[in-house]
Amino acid sequence: MHNLGFALDGAWRVLVAGLALGAGLPILFALGIRSLAWADAGGAAPRPAGRALGYGLFAVVVLGVLLGITFIVATGFGKALSFDHIYPTIVPKH
Amino acid sequence: MTESTVILALVVVTALGFDFTNGFHDTANAMATSIATNALRPKVAVALSGLLNLIGAFLSVEVALTVTNAVVKIQNSDGTPKESLTAGGGEALLIIVLAGLVGGIVWNLLTWLLGLPSSSSHALFGGLIGSSIAGLGWAGVNWNGNGSKLDGVVGKVILPAVMSPVIAGVIAAVGTWLIYRVVTGVAQRFTDNGFRWGQIGSASLVSLAHGTNDAQKTMGVITLALIATGDWTDTKSIPLWVKVACALAIALGTYLGGWRIIRTLGKGLVEIAPPQGMAAESASAAVILASSHLGFALSTTHVATGSILGSGVGKPGAQVRWRVAGRMVAAWLITLPAAAVVGAIMWFLGDLIGGLGGAILIFVLLLSAAGFMYWRSRKEPVGHHNVNDEWEGAPADERVPAVAGRAS
Repeated sequence: MHNLGFALDGAWRVLVAGLALGAGLPILFALGIRSLAWADAGGAAPRPAGRALGYGLFAVVVLGVLLGITFIVATGFGKALSFDHIYPTIVPKH
Repeated sequence: MTESTVILALVVVTALGFDFTNGFHDTANAMATSIATNALRPKVAVALSGLLNLIGAFLSVEVALTVTNAVVKIQNSDGTPKESLTAGGGEALLIIVLAGLVGGIVWNLLTWLLGLPSSSSHALFGGLIGSSIAGLGWAGVNWNGNGSKLDGVVGKVILPAVMSPVIAGVIAAVGTWLIYRVVTGVAQRFTDNGFRWGQIGSASLVSLAHGTNDAQKTMGVITLALIATGDWTDTKSIPLWVKVACALAIALGTYLGGWRIIRTLGKGLVEIAPPQGMAAESASAAVILASSHLGFALSTTHVATGSILGSGVGKPGAQVRWRVAGRMVAAWLITLPAAAVVGAIMWFLGDLIGGLGGAILIFVLLLSAAGFMYWRSRKEPVGHHNVNDEWEGAPADERVPAVAGRAS
């Protein structure tokens, strides 16, 4: 049953990474929408802080997506994304 | 022109045919939610997905030559075909590959006809497993790997198939639930437009990932056949024309759109709202990318279905049609054995006649099966015009107009 062990080991990593990116980024996006709505809320003077926060959150989401695309492209060219230095770097695949 | 050259040509055409079915079978994985929520018009959605699949296929320059090694033993570990199969122009290997491809295509077309999103990778692997068992016996299949890594039918196909929909479903459910918590009370004019773009972005990412993952399977199979006949020798790269042909085949298939499957995934399982669509596609994209980063092979179909189910579970008060889900799971369970049975039968038929005649017989059988299923599908066509019709077939006059009364 060694295969089951390898699969479970992979599964929890995918779950953690998936929760961080697949649920985390959409929630940031939703928070961004909420900030924009708050910035423009009901007739009163617009709130620039809400707008700034909203676009800031969208920027984080876009960065996350760009990371995803970089990953696809890098894998295609035989490279891998490394998170050894906290920020992602492209390294040769081994 | 020798006999094996003709068989090789049949293998190449059949492989491209499989790639094409792979494309239209999987359009739904990326685009069903965006089409169901009207984030994109159906035609625009399939065009976008097709284009991204095309780009994705060209990005996958990594050699995918050992793709069959996960499940069957027709190649050495460096990607060259087994010497015992290449004697006499490689016909033995070509017939196994051809029969396996036919098994995969026939199953893909049948599930498409029934509107069931089954895995194209399982269909391909199933077909190859069946034809390998028929041609080489039980020992021709790599059932469980050698214990050093996740490998074999169990490790590369069965376990990921069981786990990936659950993982994707959990992520999508958590995402959906939290998104609805975050946006409660926000005016609809903000959420509608925002989540529309969120959906388009996440669905595009899924399309791109699909192109890189799936097109290279066919590229690997075609190159393997070319090596078997001696028409290609390099195991470190793939001929350019193979790459171009596979990329075009999968993109064209995606653009054609498997509307029957799009309908099931987009309307059949859950009534999808824009926030759910975004949560589902984000979960799919994240799971697909994280898995390939960790070398955890899986099927985009299983992931997408799990995500959409999860988005139904996570939305407070949403209804999930578990009967439809049950039908899908049943289709998943039988995909591999069913494609294997077709692959095995095809190999026996091809072997019975032998040589070129056998290969032509298999090919003609494939064409007639495909033609029959296409003809059946025209009796009850599903296309971009009716893909979003209500799922429950209630008579029109009994229904309260849902949209007309709502001010928005």
